[in-house]
Amino acid sequence: MSIRTGTVADLSASTRLAVGIAALFTGAFLIWGVGFAHSEALHDTAHDVRHSYGFPCH
Amino acid sequence: MIGRFFLAALAAGLFVGALMTPVHYARLVPLILHAETFESGGAAAHDHAAINDETMALRLVGSATAAQTATDGAGLLHLVHSPAASGEEGDGTGLFESRLLGTFFANIVAGAGFALVLAAISLLLGVPLTAANGALWGVVGFFVASLAPAIGLAPELPAMPAADLAARQTWWIATVALTGIGAYLLILRSEAWAKIGGLVLVALPQIYGAPQPDTLDSPVPATLAAEFASSSLATAAVFWLVLGLCLGLAMDRFGAREA
Repeated sequence: MSIRTGTVADLSASTRLAVGIAALFTGAFLIWGVGFAHSEALHDTAHDVRHSYGFPCH
Repeated sequence: MIGRFFLAALAAGLFVGALMTPVHYARLVPLILHAETFESGGAAAHDHAAINDETMALRLVGSATAAQTATDGAGLLHLVHSPAASGEEGDGTGLFESRLLGTFFANIVAGAGFALVLAAISLLLGVPLTAANGALWGVVGFFVASLAPAIGLAPELPAMPAADLAARQTWWIATVALTGIGAYLLILRSEAWAKIGGLVLVALPQIYGAPQPDTLDSPVPATLAAEFASSSLATAAVFWLVLGLCLGLAMDRFGAREA
């Protein structure tokens, strides 16, 4: 099964939707962890990065 | 195939995040460390920090403010840090012993997160993100996720006064979401209603206004805060430009080849 993969626009709509939603949720989850989570361990680890990116920190 | 774009975005994000760590250490972390010497909240726990507080305050702030800082402990709206964040490496609650390592991992995770969201938007809208237009995607990302929230909430340093954290976080997320939808309407739709709607969405959070602190009194010198705000935005601009470019290259390389 050799699939000719092209640019984003050539993908079928359902594939784009599936991958897009997966990437959106994963990305949002990671950004939440770095920038917003109130967990003290995460805050302390990401502290300087939160300030640097302009996330509300304290 | 499904994982191909996903992995391309992930790789680009991790790479750019790693790339940003030395930039942060050159331009931003020294300013954060300097600002933390003004956090009087940690004075009781760390004596050397208290001495730092006083000498720094005397040197850099007017004597009136310095006297107040010295005598009035946490009287002003001085925000208190946890030990790890106030430069006490090792005895904090961070996931890593070293501050540098924590920043490195937070940076690569942030890079991966923003890269995945950018790639997701490209996939969901069916608008290709390539090496040729990657920088433009990056510029839009900067306007939406860095500049727009910074209009209401200037990049803040430790020890600066700030409104309620949850309220500011809510405003930040709402602003980025509305500005993002506004940017889509303005850039990718040609209808008149979309242009007007886009402008309204971009302006709305700024007109509503970000949560502001009750007082602007701050132990952090204004020049330090100003330097941090401009450096933070400049660094963010570099981050987004490089992220857009690398993401475009990664998408071209991994997405447009024979399987």
